[in-house]
Amino acid sequence: MNQIIGPSVSRKDGRAKVTGTATYGAEHQLPDLVHGYLITAKIAHGRILNIDTEAVARSPGVIAVFTHENMPRVFAPANDWANAQIYETRLPLADDRVHYAGQIIGLVVADTLERARDAAHSAPVEYQTDAVLVEADKAIYEDSPPWFGEDFQFQEGTFETGDFAAATAGAAVAIEATYTTETELNAPMEPHALVAHWQTNDSITIYEPTQWVRVSQGTYAELFGLPTERVRVVSPYVGGAFGSKAFPWPHGILCVAVARELQRPLKVVVSRRQMTANTGHRSQTEQTVRLATNETGQLIAIEHTARTCTSPVEVFSEPCTAITPVMYATPNLKLGQELAVLNVGTPTFMRAPGEAPGMFALESAMDELAWELGLDPVELRLRNETQAHQRRRRPFSTKNFADCLRTGAETFGWSQRQMQPRSQQQGDRLVGWGMAAATFPGLRGAATAKVRLLPDETAHVLTSANDMGTGAYTMIAITAAETLGLLVENIQVEIGDSIMPDGGLAGGSQMTATLAPAVVNACQAVLERANAETAQQAFASLQASGRAAYEATGSAAPGEEGTQFAFQSWGAHFCEVTVDEEIARLQITRWVAVMDVGRVVNAKAAASQIRGGIIMGIGSALMEECHFDPASGHPVVYDLATYHFPAHADIPRIEVTFVGEPDLNFNPLGVRGAGEIGIMGVAPAVANAVYHATGKRIRNLPILPNKLL
Amino acid sequence: MKNFAYGRVSSVEEAVDRATGDRNAVYIAGGTNLVDRLKAFLDEPTQLLDISRLEMKRIEPTPEGGFRIGALVTNTDLANHAEVRRQYPLLSRAILAGASQQIRNMATVGGNLMQRTRCPYYYDTAFACNKRQPDTGCPAIDGVNRTHAILGASERCVAVNPSDMSVALAALDAIVEVQGEQGQREIPLVDFHRLPGNTPDRDTNLESGELITAITLPALSFAQSGVYLKLRDRASYAFALVSVAAALELSGDQIRNARIALGGVAHKPWRASEAEAFLQGKTAEQSTFEQAADMALQDAQPLSYNGFKVDLSRRAIRRALAVSARGGGIA
Repeated sequence: MNQIIGPSVSRKDGRAKVTGTATYGAEHQLPDLVHGYLITAKIAHGRILNIDTEAVARSPGVIAVFTHENMPRVFAPANDWANAQIYETRLPLADDRVHYAGQIIGLVVADTLERARDAAHSAPVEYQTDAVLVEADKAIYEDSPPWFGEDFQFQEGTFETGDFAAATAGAAVAIEATYTTETELNAPMEPHALVAHWQTNDSITIYEPTQWVRVSQGTYAELFGLPTERVRVVSPYVGGAFGSKAFPWPHGILCVAVARELQRPLKVVVSRRQMTANTGHRSQTEQTVRLATNETGQLIAIEHTARTCTSPVEVFSEPCTAITPVMYATPNLKLGQELAVLNVGTPTFMRAPGEAPGMFALESAMDELAWELGLDPVELRLRNETQAHQRRRRPFSTKNFADCLRTGAETFGWSQRQMQPRSQQQGDRLVGWGMAAATFPGLRGAATAKVRLLPDETAHVLTSANDMGTGAYTMIAITAAETLGLLVENIQVEIGDSIMPDGGLAGGSQMTATLAPAVVNACQAVLERANAETAQQAFASLQASGRAAYEATGSAAPGEEGTQFAFQSWGAHFCEVTVDEEIARLQITRWVAVMDVGRVVNAKAAASQIRGGIIMGIGSALMEECHFDPASGHPVVYDLATYHFPAHADIPRIEVTFVGEPDLNFNPLGVRGAGEIGIMGVAPAVANAVYHATGKRIRNLPILPNKLL
Repeated sequence: MKNFAYGRVSSVEEAVDRATGDRNAVYIAGGTNLVDRLKAFLDEPTQLLDISRLEMKRIEPTPEGGFRIGALVTNTDLANHAEVRRQYPLLSRAILAGASQQIRNMATVGGNLMQRTRCPYYYDTAFACNKRQPDTGCPAIDGVNRTHAILGASERCVAVNPSDMSVALAALDAIVEVQGEQGQREIPLVDFHRLPGNTPDRDTNLESGELITAITLPALSFAQSGVYLKLRDRASYAFALVSVAAALELSGDQIRNARIALGGVAHKPWRASEAEAFLQGKTAEQSTFEQAADMALQDAQPLSYNGFKVDLSRRAIRRALAVSARGGGIA
C-alpha cells in the first residue's frame, strides 16, 4: 500500500455502462408511473398574473396541474451544508414572483411524457413584466458575503496581510491586468431527473442522481417532515455532475411533493433547455490582478479581486481568490470578492468552483509578469514558491510543486523554447508554448463502509457513496482487494443507496480520501470478526462452519491534522498551440501535465480524471460560454449543439505523469484525490501559449476565432 | 410535440398528390432536423409523409459528364462516393465538415437542402421570431447576433442558412430537380433558397407539395481544384462562422474561371458572382485574391456582434483561392 502509483485497472462499471444495463435515475421503471413536465417562465422578471390551469387540465392525458396556487406544503430545510441543504433557498412555486427566465412556475402531470410536455408548453400564462438585468457590466456590485470556502468553513471574501499599497510603491516591476470569463454550464451528459415513489404517505424512495446520497436523504426528510430513515435515496450511477448534483434543486422538491399529493410514482426529467436556468452554472467573472516584484522577480505584493454574479434567490459567490494565498509567497497580500444580482438562474459549484477562473487570472498575470521581467515563467514560479498556506497560516503537509514544474518542463522539452513571441513557426503556422501551474485543496470527510465475506470467496463492499464517472466503484474494489489480499474481480461493490452506511460526498475531489480509509478499516474489521489473518482463512472458516457470511463495518474521519497542516495538490501544465493567423484557426497540438496528488490508487482512472479535467479546461479556454438575450433575459444557449465544449478533434494527445509522495499526514493511505486539479491552470496555459505564438494577450475567455483576428 | 398522422408513400406522385395544398403536411426522410424542430414546437404539422423508401437513392453519371444524385442519397454516401471525391472534392469535404457521422448517416441530400436555420431566437419559442411566426419581430437584430448574417439580411430576419453541402453545390452550379402537381421543373441551387426580405418564413422557392427528387452536378473541368474552407468555434460538430467553397481554372497563372460561394453569412448560400467576374483574366496572385475578397464583402452590413465575420470572410476567401490556385486540397 505504500507505493505512490497504484495498479492500472479498467473501470468495474464500464461494461454495464457501454451495454446500457447501468440504470440511471430516470430509467427506473415502476408500475403506475406518471410523468411530470415543468412549466417555465417566459419572462425573466415580474409576476405571474394568471395561469389558466383549467385549460391545461383539458389537454389530453393530463392528470394534474400544480402552480404556486396549489403547491403542496414543504418545510424549509436547515441549509447547514452538513445534514440538509438545497441549492436554491427559495422553495419551488413559493409565490407568484419570477426572478429569472426559465424559472419553474408549474408542473403538469400526465400519463405520458409527450402529453405532459405538450400541455406544459401550451399553458396560457399572463405576466406582469418588470425590468430585466442580465448584463454584468450594468450590475451593481457589493462586497461579497462570506463564501463557502475550504474545508467547509465560511471565509470572508476580503482579506489583507501586510501593506499592499506601500509595498507596490517601492516595487521594481509591477503589472496590473483585468481578466474576464463567461458564464459556463455544468452540462453533464445525464440531465437532471428523478423518480419519486411514495410507498405510503410517510415513506418514500427517490431515484435521483446525487453526489451526496446521505445529505440528499437528510434534505428530503427535512423538506417533507419525515424521519431520515423513512427516505431512501437510490443513486447507483450518476452521468456526470461537476458540482450540480450534490443537493436537491427546485424540480426535485416539486417532483417529490407532487408525487405525495398524487400517491403515484412520478418522474420528472429536466430538459436540456430547462437545465440552462434550473440546474446551476458557473458565474461569469471579472478579476483584476496586481503583482509587484523586486529586481530578481521575488513577489513582494499580490492583489486579486473578483466580481461575480448570483441569482435574486440565492447567494453564491464564485470564490475566485481562494487559490491566491496558496500559490505564491508574498508578505503583502490583498484579496477582495464582490457580488452582483442578475435575473439569471442560480449559479453553483462547477468543477473547481472559483479556483478554475481564479487560476486563469492569476496564472495569466504570472505569465505577463514573466515577460515583463524577461524571466522564464517556470523559473518565476520556482522563485516564488510558498511552503505555507498564507491565509490559514499552516505549512503544507507535502508539496512537490517544483518537481511538477521540472518534470513537466523536461518531458515537454521546454528548454528548447524560443523566448520571443512569434518566434516559432511550423510551415505557415505560428507555434506557441505555454505553461501554468495547478493546485487544488486536499479535502476529506467522514465515511463508513460495510464489508461482507461470502463462502463463494467474494467480498462485497457496501456504502452510500457514489460514482459520477470518476471511478469510485473501481477505487473501492482496488482498496478492498489490496487490504484483503484478493483479486479485484472478486470484489463486488454496491454503492449509491442511502440504506447503506454513509459513504460521504463525491465533491471537492474528496471521495477517495474520504472513503478509501473507511474501506480499509472495514476490511480489517471483517478479518477480525472472522478471527482470520487473511481473506482466504476467513473463506475457509466460512466453508467449514457452514456460516453464511462475515460482515463488519469500518469508519474513518479526519482528526486534528487540519490544525497542523494545509493539504494541497499540485501540478503543472505545458502545452503547444498552433495558430493559422490569416484565418484565425487555433489548434492545441500537444499537452503535458504533471501532477502531485499524493498516492494514486488507480493509475488508469486517475490519469483519465486528469485528462477529463484538461479537456474541460480546454473547453473553458476556447469555447464554453452561455449568453443571455439582454432584452428578454433568456439564455440563447439551449442544447449541446449551441453550448460548445470540445469535440475529439479539438483535443491533442495528453500525457499525464504523477510525481510526489503519499500524503500520510492527510490520511493513512496518503491519497488526496485526483479530480478537479486537472482543470486547474489549463485555460491560462492555453492563453499563455497563444501569447507566445501570436504576441496577443487574450484576457477574455473563451478564445474564440474572432479574438485572434 | 403535437400529435400527427404518419404515412408512408409508395411513389413520388402519391407523395406530391397528398402534400399539395395541405399546409400541414411535411415530407420526412432522415428527419435529422425535422424531428428536432417537432420536439421544440417549431413546426406543428398534422401529417408526416414518409418518403424514405422511394427510389431516389442512386448516384448516376449524366450523359453531359456530370452526376445526378437522388434526393434520398445519404450525406455519408454522397461524401464517400469515389467519383464525387475525385471530381468534386470540395463537395465531399463540405459534407464531411457538417454535422456528425451519425447524423450524416441518416440525413439525406434533399433533407440537407431543407434544413432550417439554427438561429437561437428561431429555435426557442420563448422568443418572438418572424421566421417562426410572421410579423412578431426579430429580437436577434439587437440581441446576441454573433453568428448571424452580414449579407442579404432584412430588417425582419438576420438568420443564416446552416448547410455546408449547399455552399459547395452553389459554387458548382448544381441544379435541383423537383416534382410538383404541375410536373417536373429544375431550379438552379443558387435560386433554390431565398433571402429573407419580407417573408423570412419562406426559406426556399418550392411551391406547395413540391418534392426534391434529385440534384444534378454539371461537369466542371476545374472542379478538382475546388476547396472548402470552414471556420468555426470548435474543430468539429459546429456550424460555420464563415465558410468558403472556391475553385479556380487556370491557364498558366491566368485565371480563366472562378467560383466562390460563402456559407454562414447569409440566409442562403452566397454566390460571389461579381468577385468571380473580376477574377476572370487576372493573374492568380495574392493581390488579386485580396481585391476579389474585398469585392465579395463590399455590401456586408454587420450587426453589433458579428462585425468580425466581414474580415474573417475576406481572409477565408483569400486562403481558399490561394489553395485552389495551387491545385486544391485541404485549406
